[in-house]
Amino acid sequence: MSDRNTPLRVFWAEFRENKMAVFALIVVVVMMFLALFASVVSPHDPYDLASLSLLDSRRPPGFVGTGGYTHILGTDPQGRDLLSAILYGLRISIQIGLAAGFVSLTIGTSLGILAAYVGGRVEALIMRLVDLQLSFPAILLALVIVALLGQGKAQLIGALVAAQYAYFARTAYGAAKAERGKDYIEAAVATPLPTRLVVLRHLLPNCMPPLIVVATVQIANSISLEATLSFLGLGLPVTEPSLGMLISNGFPYMMSGRYWISVYPGIALIILIVSINVVGDQIRDQLNPRLRK
Amino acid sequence: MSEPVLEVQGLSTHFFTRQGEIPAVRDVSFSLQPGEVLGLVGESGSGKSVTGFSLLGLVDAPGRIVAGSVKLDGQELVGLAEPELRALRGRDISMIFQDPIATLNPMLSIGDQMRMALLAHEKRSLQEANKKCVDLLRRVGITEPEAGLRAYPHEYSGGMRQRVAIAIALLHNPSVIIADEPTTALDVSIQAQILNEMRELVRETGTALIWISHDLAVVASLADRIAVMYRGEIIETGPTFDVLRAPKQEYTANLLAALPANTEPGQLLAQGGVVRSVLNVPEMPAPPENDHFLSVSGANRVFFPSISLGEKIAGLMGAGSGRRSTHAVKNVTLRVARGETLGLVGESGSGKSTLGRLMAGILAPTSGQVLLDDAPVMQEGKKATLRIQTIFQDPFASLNPRMKVGRAVSEGALAHNLLSPSEASAYVKSWFEKVGLEPEWAERYPHQFSGGQRQRVAIARALAMQPEVLICDEPVASLDVSIQAQIINLFLELQRSLGLTMVFISHDLSVVRHVSDRVAVMYLGEIVELGPAEEIYKAPKHDYTMRLLNAVPVLDLKVD
Amino acid sequence: MLGFIIQRLLQAVGVMCVMSVIVFCGVYAIGNPIDIVIPPEATEEIRLDAIRRLGLDRPLYEQYFIFVGNLLQGDLGRSFVYNVPVLELIGGRLPATLELVLISVVTATVIGVTLGIYAGYRPDSWVSKSIMAISVLGFSVPSFWVGLILILTFAVNLGWLPAGGRGDTVEVLGVAWSFPTADGLSHIVLPAINLALFKLAMMIRLARAGTREIMLTDTIKFARAAGLSEGTVLRRHLLKLISIPIITVFGLELGSTLAFAVVTETIFSWPGVGKLIIDSIAVLDRPVMVAYLILVAFLFVTINFIIDVVFILIDPRVRHSGQYE
Repeated sequence: MSDRNTPLRVFWAEFRENKMAVFALIVVVVMMFLALFASVVSPHDPYDLASLSLLDSRRPPGFVGTGGYTHILGTDPQGRDLLSAILYGLRISIQIGLAAGFVSLTIGTSLGILAAYVGGRVEALIMRLVDLQLSFPAILLALVIVALLGQGKAQLIGALVAAQYAYFARTAYGAAKAERGKDYIEAAVATPLPTRLVVLRHLLPNCMPPLIVVATVQIANSISLEATLSFLGLGLPVTEPSLGMLISNGFPYMMSGRYWISVYPGIALIILIVSINVVGDQIRDQLNPRLRK
Repeated sequence: MSEPVLEVQGLSTHFFTRQGEIPAVRDVSFSLQPGEVLGLVGESGSGKSVTGFSLLGLVDAPGRIVAGSVKLDGQELVGLAEPELRALRGRDISMIFQDPIATLNPMLSIGDQMRMALLAHEKRSLQEANKKCVDLLRRVGITEPEAGLRAYPHEYSGGMRQRVAIAIALLHNPSVIIADEPTTALDVSIQAQILNEMRELVRETGTALIWISHDLAVVASLADRIAVMYRGEIIETGPTFDVLRAPKQEYTANLLAALPANTEPGQLLAQGGVVRSVLNVPEMPAPPENDHFLSVSGANRVFFPSISLGEKIAGLMGAGSGRRSTHAVKNVTLRVARGETLGLVGESGSGKSTLGRLMAGILAPTSGQVLLDDAPVMQEGKKATLRIQTIFQDPFASLNPRMKVGRAVSEGALAHNLLSPSEASAYVKSWFEKVGLEPEWAERYPHQFSGGQRQRVAIARALAMQPEVLICDEPVASLDVSIQAQIINLFLELQRSLGLTMVFISHDLSVVRHVSDRVAVMYLGEIVELGPAEEIYKAPKHDYTMRLLNAVPVLDLKVD
Repeated sequence: MLGFIIQRLLQAVGVMCVMSVIVFCGVYAIGNPIDIVIPPEATEEIRLDAIRRLGLDRPLYEQYFIFVGNLLQGDLGRSFVYNVPVLELIGGRLPATLELVLISVVTATVIGVTLGIYAGYRPDSWVSKSIMAISVLGFSVPSFWVGLILILTFAVNLGWLPAGGRGDTVEVLGVAWSFPTADGLSHIVLPAINLALFKLAMMIRLARAGTREIMLTDTIKFARAAGLSEGTVLRRHLLKLISIPIITVFGLELGSTLAFAVVTETIFSWPGVGKLIIDSIAVLDRPVMVAYLILVAFLFVTINFIIDVVFILIDPRVRHSGQYE
């Protein structure tokens, strides 16, 4: 029982016991670094149109291009080095996933906690709206919004947020409603502490655990949803190829045996999403109060 | 002496956890004669429940019986294969659990659940099975047992559900029944009925009974013999009367001395641990007669159910849900004098907690007033005074798990500018000392404290607001007897040294009697009797008070 | 209980009203639909005529009320592109989608719940760990990617199953179905697996989490203490207790799978409404988009209402009091 025995430390000690989750966490961190420094670690700059040659397009892995460089994973239909394209694509996918995740988290949490704390009409209004949206599939909503707003990063993030904030709002509401009934909140209200302090110092920190779980799932979901939209041709403009776009670009060549154009970006995408979900699963198990002894 | 029906030798059950091997039950031995009632007493964590589960071979992972023997009617149970054990469970040895709400499956009818338990061990036609189930329901005191078979658990009260569980345990007339705190979740009056019925049933059926409880008085009213458990071991065992009157172990003696009923009211209780008498200030003068420092006049509180539009329409069509508003506090008027302790007793649903919340400024009365020094306690739905503070029942729930306890103690005073940030640390330390905590513990989180320590933190948090009135809502109900004694002593000392006015809410009559100057008895939202503590206990005037007092099992240790 | 049903009906109607407004405004208020109906080189006269004919010159709220009025008469407008009644267009394609969705969700639920209960019952066995690994994969891998790999493996490389289309169909009650014919069945296998995989993963997780929690409750301990066999404990107690979350999710998934079929239908060229909506979105065929969205909302609301009624039938607490405890 040392004084440094903070909840976070206890949590980490338990997390460390699941080797699989630790490995997944390392993978996520490494991929984030690769994405962040894509311009440094990539052998080619896929945006540098001058260095591209159509002679090099759709070449298999290991092909030595006109530039004298060996394309380890082959090239795509535009003649870009696939490995470099994947690293840049990873960057876009992660950017979009994180941005959509955090904006949804902020909006959803604020709405959920507001509804739970204030109650009455505000609660009824917000939660009706959220339930309405939850009863509507996220992908359809995103599809329609992107179709109407046009293509672009901001529109795409907007569509993802609109499709996902409701999950955060629902979770935050549920957690806040449960915490609201607990004695420590009643004690804070009975002191009386100013409402701002009750919400920010007492209610919010205790609603975070389930929200963190939802956040990991939703970031993975955003990435997957973005890839799906891009695949359907409703994602980002061609100038900013995300992983989904790369896969989509390779789809027509798949039947003719040029599998790598789709498969390698796909594998990168899957490793990323699976790793995030494995980490998320471990966090979920650790935070589930009903399974704790 | 006849052959023992159950013989336990050197039983040890260990839990293999992340933190290492924890011996929950250590070398426990006892035997049970047919028809005998053994009371297994101990505080939380003493291993009494694990002992019960070990006898049935139902210890949850990561726990495991590591040594010893359990012989039921001469047959060894430890090491027996699961199918054979299962054949014995429910037939020769059965069990009743603490929380009757959680034990019965809400999705299955009572008849279904009873028939399943019956048919697990014998083949019977549906008619025969129903007949047997009805018989048993009648025996455990369920009126209209035929309808009971078709009922679902949620249609029954807690006491009725526990009777159903008892009926299931009795289905096969087992030689041993293990009852794990079966009346702890129930009100005293229901507890008294169930205790009476169990006594009858044991006599009629000749079943031996192991009654596991933390409550010495309950056990004493039923058991032939008592075994006291402490840290996984049985430290003392013998005939009930001998153990209670002349305990051989210091622990048992301390446990008895810690009971409020065994000490003169108002005196410090003897405790198992070291008494840290931090404050020694002469007693406050008695309050003047007509002082009305804190007053409640004509207060009502009604809770309205939220009835949906659909239900209203259905109501107009003559198929309303029948949910009504609850009148939790009915026209209550009372005064608390400066420096006095008012005890508020009642069973669950009596409205005592709601009344406490009205007085604490947490809930607004539907009508009527709560005044402190003639100023309303609440204004515009908000608490309008710092002079009243509250202590809650469960110290595990009343502290924010993600806030260091020192901060929890200082934040209210800081928010209201009762002190400057630079003084906070010293201020917290001084309050920690006053409530008997180490000052350097201020940097810890709640999960690093035991229940009693947490309650001390909660008390420090309330006192740090420098209140004049303390509303205590069941402040010791979730604590073990010895810890309970320490906290009660702390209240007594603090009240004397700080001149606090207290409202002490509890279901436990002996605790209330011990700390209170005057006592108010609540029943169905009303105060049915109010007077000096001694008078109420010695000469109750109201019917309900009498019934309540009679229902409490009393440890009478004086030799006749 | 009656109050509960009435309440849910009122809510369903309310949701439909709000949904129709949102969808209508969302789809009509943005952009100019007229541009796709008439060629860009058309004269101003033709243009104005087209606007009047389509009712696009009136205020938005009037358009909405006309739309609702027509809707209530079963008229959802005509497709800008195909120039046929939208209802006819969607109605002709709906059976294909429903067939695919029902087969996927039912299969996923039956298999998923079984595996999930096993994984929750014996959480530490290697079989359970494999089940969970599969479920994490199924949960993570984007559905379109799975479709690609299925086509690559079973259609392109192995050549066992067709890569797209519906195959031979049989007319039953005037509607074409694929599953009764061998050829149709071979066509439905890959898209069904594709669509079911995510649901399967989800059902496994749900059933496992539920089982783990329920197995630790006093209800199960008490049943064991009464000497009930593990089979009885699982069949009578666990299944009953776990049914509520499963049925809730089953209903929600039925609806969302309907929407997710968009992706699968695109990949496997399955001629359902999903394919239709993607094509319509691409050319901004608004009446089809509106009708489809309202149809999905209506199906969702209907499914949720049916689920609520099912709860009344299976949960005695709802049956008696009309609310959860």
